[in-house]
Amino acid sequence: MSRERVLVAMSGGVDSSVAAALLVDQGYDVIGATMKLFCYGDEVSDRPCCSLDSIDDARRVCEKLGVPHYVLNMEDAFGRDVLRNFVSEYARGRTPIPCVRCNSFTKFRDLLGKADALDAKWIATGHYARSHGGELYRGLDPAKDQSYFLWGIDRAVVSRMLLPVGALTKAETRARARALGLHVIADKAESQDICFVPGGDHTVVLAKHLAVGDAALSRGPFVLRDGRQVGEHEGFARFTIGQRRGLPGGYAEPMFVTAIRPADRAVVIGPRDELLGSGIIAREMNWLVADAPGVGAQVEVQIRHHASPAAAEIVRVEGDEIELALDEPVSAISPGQSLVLYSGARVLGGGVIEAGRAVGGMRVARAQLPIFAA
Amino acid sequence: MPAPVYLDHSATTPVRAEVFAAMEPFYGPKFGNPSSIHRWGREARAALDEARERLAATLGAHSDEIVFTSGGTESDNLAILGSWRLLRDKNVGKRAVVTTPIEHKAILAASHQAAHEGAEERILSVDGAGLVRRESFDALVREDVAICSIMWVNNEIGTIQPIADFAQRAKSRGVLFHTDAVQAFGHIAVSAKTAPFDMLSLSGHKIGAPKGIGAMYIRRGTFVEPLQFGGSQNRGVRPGTENVAAAVALARAAELAVEELETEMPRLEKMRDYLQRELETRIPDAVVNGLGAPRAPHILNISVPGTDSESMLMALDMSGVACSSGSACQSGTVDPSHVLEAIGVPRELAIAAVRMSLGSLTTDACIERVVQLFPALISKARRLAGVAS
Repeated sequence: MSRERVLVAMSGGVDSSVAAALLVDQGYDVIGATMKLFCYGDEVSDRPCCSLDSIDDARRVCEKLGVPHYVLNMEDAFGRDVLRNFVSEYARGRTPIPCVRCNSFTKFRDLLGKADALDAKWIATGHYARSHGGELYRGLDPAKDQSYFLWGIDRAVVSRMLLPVGALTKAETRARARALGLHVIADKAESQDICFVPGGDHTVVLAKHLAVGDAALSRGPFVLRDGRQVGEHEGFARFTIGQRRGLPGGYAEPMFVTAIRPADRAVVIGPRDELLGSGIIAREMNWLVADAPGVGAQVEVQIRHHASPAAAEIVRVEGDEIELALDEPVSAISPGQSLVLYSGARVLGGGVIEAGRAVGGMRVARAQLPIFAA
Repeated sequence: MPAPVYLDHSATTPVRAEVFAAMEPFYGPKFGNPSSIHRWGREARAALDEARERLAATLGAHSDEIVFTSGGTESDNLAILGSWRLLRDKNVGKRAVVTTPIEHKAILAASHQAAHEGAEERILSVDGAGLVRRESFDALVREDVAICSIMWVNNEIGTIQPIADFAQRAKSRGVLFHTDAVQAFGHIAVSAKTAPFDMLSLSGHKIGAPKGIGAMYIRRGTFVEPLQFGGSQNRGVRPGTENVAAAVALARAAELAVEELETEMPRLEKMRDYLQRELETRIPDAVVNGLGAPRAPHILNISVPGTDSESMLMALDMSGVACSSGSACQSGTVDPSHVLEAIGVPRELAIAAVRMSLGSLTTDACIERVVQLFPALISKARRLAGVAS
């Protein structure tokens, strides 16, 4: 019997390297692939050709594992589906998560196309999440769970995903890497930055792609909720809801960004209680379960990576738009971030946050809920 | 799976058994440094001198016109930068570097470097088959040119330029002429007696010698500024202790290539033409790139609309067939070829290009296998592309 083939997306980091190694151990016919997604160009002098180091690392791992490795040029698709959206979202005063779109489009659609071309039944990544029975679940290590970034993939693809490190803790993954002799990889620093944002400053990328003088990076007012101007900033795209850094001082209580208004370039600031919201509207809703919950259903929601899940009720579903009422208010609901719905560890689906509401939407009265057969 | 098929001889070739045998003693008892005065040195010196003579003979050259280098890239760099820098320093009004848009990166990047150092870079215009246009040559190759370089056989599409003619025209204007003959040598007749080029580059590993050895022909009376400085080896043009074993290997490989030119090239051409005909029949909308000019017998560059090189190369590789696309970036990604772009191949076809290059390992059975496999992979790729869109 011929072994089942799997295409493993390899970044050169420890997680995807161990994922590939585990799949080799499990007897799969492994092919490693590193996607070249963007070019730093001349700006980052120690990276002459587009994060070449990580490509080299991935190749070395494949050489050690004795499996083929390919470098795939996906710059065009990544630029179109991820980078362009990243820039336009910031220009609209929102805070995008490019990793979500990279997973939805670049990895689990475009890379899957490459897997098809290679007759690979499976596609694997180093994500801390789990897939079984055609459904997606949180990674076992709550500190590392990355299911939040995976809500946007096509449901049919979930049954083709292998996520071998989703059942490990980060410490276990590192230990596996060392046991496999991948010492350099095992001890690599965790990358927290967005891969195409050198040094973690997203405004560098925005400045490169936006026209000179674009409103998003131009001077505008800091205002309070009542409209009073209290200072000036150097561009609303430098701010995100909930941010404290870089705001005018001199207030009795800590101040936060509570809203961004591109129309008049305003960054609205206020005390902590003005950050609270009880309702969320999201769009581009994508369900990862066959039995998608409807209006009235109780779910758990997460509005940012590493946030604790919050109990909520679905109060409206219209096309790909959804509205939820939260049981308890949550802080800093940021348009552009993801709203992911869970039932325990099971990922139900997700969408892109369009707006937060100070007051939750109209709940369906309990008594009116249809009674299902017990 | 049947035995793998290697159809990438333009990338590199296996070291021939005769070549390996010729070089082996120099990794053993004959290890001397050719610059030493003792018997070990003399032995190595004799081998090196003989290698130089034998290589020169294959080129119709004198042995003092041969400089051993590390390969095609070094030879190309030495030709462009060595000529440009020497003439710049002489201050005789020769400040331009002329080349074509379909050169190997070793020429293009060296030419850009010369531009960075103050040269005027002029790029000749080519037609749809990659042939340099005469009128463009006549317009750009003027007396103020330090060096003009035109590739003899293009490595991606196989186009053969009329080098004797261009060399003669350059000569009549007092312009130094260089040709990158890395793909030409061993595939077509190359002789310093019949074509009046001033310099020529060749590479060992394209003709059955190891990687890391190449040569540069520099006609008597032509001078270049060295790229590196040291001892007087290679008359100071290319200092550094000579790689005797590899030089011997290169000379032997060159001799074999020239000896077999009359038999091996018709053999390859017949197989290439059959492969092309079969693929064109089985894939009616396939486009062969670079047609319309004399073409080297070992290269077939083919594009099928609706597919992409990257996926095709991987699928071929998974089926045991080794091909390549145009240029591979350092990271290993497949980028649209600058050569296909320059000859006006539409982007949709340029990103789909697959280069098959035949050579010593190629047999009828290899070709038959590709005739069967390639169309099947194409259909599959198109089916998947159809599903995706």
